Amino acid sequence: MNNRSFLTVPLLPTAWKKFAYLFFPLPILLVIGLAFSNPDTDPNEAAQIIYGFWAIGFGILNLTREKVEDEMIQSFRLQAFQTGFFWLIWGLGALMLINYLRFDRLTSEMFTAYLVLFLLNLYIYAAFQVQVYQSKKEN
Amino acid sequence: MKNTIKIERARHNLTQQDLADKVAVSRQTINSIEAGKYVPSTVLALKIAKVFELPVEAVFQLEDLDFE
Repeated sequence: MNNRSFLTVPLLPTAWKKFAYLFFPLPILLVIGLAFSNPDTDPNEAAQIIYGFWAIGFGILNLTREKVEDEMIQSFRLQAFQTGFFWLIWGLGALMLINYLRFDRLTSEMFTAYLVLFLLNLYIYAAFQVQVYQSKKEN
Repeated sequence: MKNTIKIERARHNLTQQDLADKVAVSRQTINSIEAGKYVPSTVLALKIAKVFELPVEAVFQLEDLDFE
C-alpha cells in the first residue's frame, strides 16, 4: 500500500546520528571558551546557547532513521511525538507554577524558544528510547 | 490479542530472524509480536499468516481483554 503524500516526513540516513552527537559537547566547549574570552558573559545567554545546540542535537536524533525502520519503530515514533508533546505541556505548566510560587508571576525570561524546543525534543527522544528499551527487554 | 506465531515458527522450522526477513521487519518486531507487546498492522498480520499458509484468524485471535 502506498500512502505517500505531502504529510510524509522524510527521515535522515542513520549516519546522521554521529553528527547529532557532536551537538552535545560542542556548546559546553563554546560556553567555556566564551567565559574565558569574556568573563562578563551573561549566564542566561550561556544557558540559551546550550539549549539551542542540544535542541538541534535531539531534533536530528528524532528525525534520523533507525537501522530497521519497520512499522513497530514507526508506531514508536508516532507515540513518542505525542507523548513528548504531552510531557512538554505538563512540564511547562509545572515550571510556570514553580515560577508563580517563587516570584509571583507566571512568565519568566527563562521560557525561551530554545528551552521549549530543547525540552520538546528531549521528551520525544526519551519517550522513543523508553519504548525501544521495553521492546528489547526479555519477555 | 494472542497469537500462535511461536508454534507456527516451530512447525515450519523458522527462527525469529527467518520470519522477520520474510516479512521485511526486524527480529525485535517479531519478538515483540510473539510476546504480545506489539499488535501488528493488518498488512503485517496478513503477511505473517501468508508465510505460514494459514488464514489470519488461525494465527491471531482476539481475547476478552480486546473487547473491554
